[in-house]
Amino acid sequence: MIRARRLVTSLLLAACGGTEPQTPLEIAIQSGDGQTAVSGERVAERYAVIVTKGGQPEPGVAVTWTVISGGGVVTPPASNTDGAGVARAVHTLGVLAGAQQVRASIGGAPQSSVRFTATARAVPEPVVVASIPIPPNYGIHDTFVRDGLAFVCAWNTGVMIFDVGNGISGGSPASPVLVSSVVPSAAPLGTLSAHNAWWFHNPVTGEKRYLFVGQEGPGTIGVSSSGDIKVIDVSDLVRPREVGSFHYEGGGTHNFWVDEARQVLYAAYYNVGVVAVDISGTLSGDISGRLIARSAPGGNGSTYMWGIMLAGGRLYANDMLSGFWQLSPTTLQPVAGGNNVPERFGSDLWVRGDYAYSGTWGAVPRNGAVGNALKIWRLSAAGAPVLADSLIVTGIETVSDVEVSDDGNLLVLSAERGIMAGLHVYRLTDPVKPALAGRIMVEAGLHTATLARIGGKLYAFAARNPRDPALIIYDLSGLR
Amino acid sequence: MPFGCWPTGVRAASRAVPRLDRRVVRSGPGGRRDWVAPALLAWALAAPGAIQAQSSLHPLVNGVLVTTGTDLTPGNGRLAEISLVQPMLGLHGTAAGGHLGFTATVDFEGLSTPNGELTLGGWGEGFIDRRHPHTYAHELVVAGLVGKRPGAGAWQLGIVGGKGFVPFGSDDPMSRPPLRYPVNHHWSQILERAMLAAQLRLYAAVLEASLFNGDEPEYPSQWPNWSRFGDSWAIRLLLEPAPWLELQGSLAKVHSPEHRPGAGLDQDKVSVSGRFDRPTATGNAYAMVEWAQTREADGFFRYQSWLAEGAIRTGRHRPYVRYERTERPEEERTVDPFRSLRPHLENSILGTSRWTIYTAGYRIAVTGPGSGAVVEAFAETSRGRIAKIGGGVFEVDSYYGEDAFWSLSVGIRIGIGLTGHRMGRYGVLASLAPSQHGLHQTEPRRGP
Repeated sequence: MIRARRLVTSLLLAACGGTEPQTPLEIAIQSGDGQTAVSGERVAERYAVIVTKGGQPEPGVAVTWTVISGGGVVTPPASNTDGAGVARAVHTLGVLAGAQQVRASIGGAPQSSVRFTATARAVPEPVVVASIPIPPNYGIHDTFVRDGLAFVCAWNTGVMIFDVGNGISGGSPASPVLVSSVVPSAAPLGTLSAHNAWWFHNPVTGEKRYLFVGQEGPGTIGVSSSGDIKVIDVSDLVRPREVGSFHYEGGGTHNFWVDEARQVLYAAYYNVGVVAVDISGTLSGDISGRLIARSAPGGNGSTYMWGIMLAGGRLYANDMLSGFWQLSPTTLQPVAGGNNVPERFGSDLWVRGDYAYSGTWGAVPRNGAVGNALKIWRLSAAGAPVLADSLIVTGIETVSDVEVSDDGNLLVLSAERGIMAGLHVYRLTDPVKPALAGRIMVEAGLHTATLARIGGKLYAFAARNPRDPALIIYDLSGLR
Repeated sequence: MPFGCWPTGVRAASRAVPRLDRRVVRSGPGGRRDWVAPALLAWALAAPGAIQAQSSLHPLVNGVLVTTGTDLTPGNGRLAEISLVQPMLGLHGTAAGGHLGFTATVDFEGLSTPNGELTLGGWGEGFIDRRHPHTYAHELVVAGLVGKRPGAGAWQLGIVGGKGFVPFGSDDPMSRPPLRYPVNHHWSQILERAMLAAQLRLYAAVLEASLFNGDEPEYPSQWPNWSRFGDSWAIRLLLEPAPWLELQGSLAKVHSPEHRPGAGLDQDKVSVSGRFDRPTATGNAYAMVEWAQTREADGFFRYQSWLAEGAIRTGRHRPYVRYERTERPEEERTVDPFRSLRPHLENSILGTSRWTIYTAGYRIAVTGPGSGAVVEAFAETSRGRIAKIGGGVFEVDSYYGEDAFWSLSVGIRIGIGLTGHRMGRYGVLASLAPSQHGLHQTEPRRGP
């Protein structure tokens, strides 16, 4: 539909000495004007202009697209008209709410142009209830929250245990109180690097004695890794102490999941793949002999496992190189999936009901693509993942963490690199089509975000990257 | 007769170099926003009055106006730029009858090239494919000596302290013939640290041991992290079997150089080099061969470098060549493709690359023998290749578009007091035989 017209005022003379004025080109909006979208997001429909000459569509005319207000991005910056005389571009809105304009012009000449206007709708921001500085010994990586205690993995500072509603020290999400901290002993390569944790509630013994801490040592991404799992006795939360460790030669640990009923710890182990460790009974000293199973689903050389999760009795893992897998919880052998995200490197995952979500990583592009995609998987009756959709988050390059709220209503992802790095919250009314419900930008990026319900409210415990690392706690209860 | 705390070669040159003229210094670079450079300059201005009467005092001025083009850019583009590199003002000399020496060098790269210098394979201090600007306070070193100068006695003892070059590795690239820094700069030199070193010379052997802070600077006006002084050490043994031959071997343990608070990986470094520098009938001949290795995290990462370079001066002409084969880590870059993420988020890298670079250049002195100033025109070209080694997610072709590259630099160097100056040599080393200090000489020591 042509919604506006403007006569081209500049005339081109004939190339071969002719003196007759050339028929002027006209440019007009064909479609896409007047849309409304969330700030920072792409408008739903591409902008289209039609260029005519003497009333007939003119192919091959270069149209220049320029953002003239709102600070967004229009791509491509120039496009040629097709056989129907139509040129198109996509407008990603700037982050400010209000009217934002893009100009389409022939040859960049303002006098032969049209303007598209879109309205950017403001996005609610999660409420920051606390920001706790973390010593800059690389800073904070992951946080495990349970029973009102936040186990903050603060790299060389160790694990800091905060009362955020447990009551042991009178803390709350708005006013966390440090209970204690523990620095794990160095891994074989000398790194302390507390990266992630899991507080094990053993249903068999009723104990809440052990905290498993992953140490992320040096590695070459995609090839090699290092770091051990340390066992910390936290039966006395004020005086935690290391009692054991797990080492797998040739690899290092990353994210965990624990099957508490079966007393099995699953750990993503980068180039090693995944390991399952028996954590029943009393843990002491070197527990490397408790290895139950190990698998490299993508094959040796094509496996670099980021995360693992048990849901509904099924085990899933997301690999940076070989994609999203369903694994056997007992043998760790592949059951389904795999080699299904070839265009990007994988990152974190979360599984909820019949759907799973996996992030992508982009500190370096893969096949030219950065990690701005959230993969949405539909799980079959047997649990096999089938890609349902991909959500592209504009303005970021890494989805560093993914989690779905306990009620299944919200999906939260943390993002790094890019102008939209920060916390993104989506509504899962339609699990295949997450709808943006809230967002807050954090310039340094957030490395992880962990959800926890405390006092009936849903909070996100996020790790702000250096140079000023901090645990930032957001109240998400206002986002619906 | 006081023994020479500072090289006799420098003294010889100083006869042709005017003493520091305050007016000259006052007309130097101005308009700086940072307080560090002016403060250092003021110090340099004040120092002569206190010590000038005692012994020698020599200024050093350097600047290179250069235009460089290369096809080594992310995405396989081409890039050209004109920049003023290596702009420096310095002062070095002796006092107390030669028992004390001092060196002060103010480097203005933080002003002239705040975004770094386009350098093939250059990396470090948060820059990548560009060489970082040095700190304003490049050298602020004092030295004390006892014993007899070389040739007059069997031994010397020295103690050196201040901010400057740690006794490790080979000469700073700024003191060598090619303009472009080699890729191995961060493997073969340790600089701009708060350092305390002891030196012992026995005949033609010099042993140095030092303590310093491991942290590298992060920006030009930053001072060393004083709280980390002493967390790193280096030793260097230097042998001079002949006046024209220098052999050195160095070891260093550097704690967390790339993470200022100290949570980063440690480095175990070793460097071995041989340096030949001999007068010829019409000038001098120079060659240097070095091997360096840096191991991080007990050898989990290992980077090696081989480098060989040579130059021949004949009258005004000085052609030179260099071959380098150096490995470097590929780190996460920021949105700016020429900057790597600082501080690091973790201890991982994206891969390792090996840079093989052939460089050839030619310098011609515009100024004649005997003039105090050095004015040299030069052209320098490099051709190289990048290889990925050891796996990882960094792909050379996908990032740079291709694995081969070239560069061409043309420019002019202007300097005063460069003759015989080898940056980073203090105390005992500064008093060694003059033949070791002739790289930048503008005139032959022995006439035809």
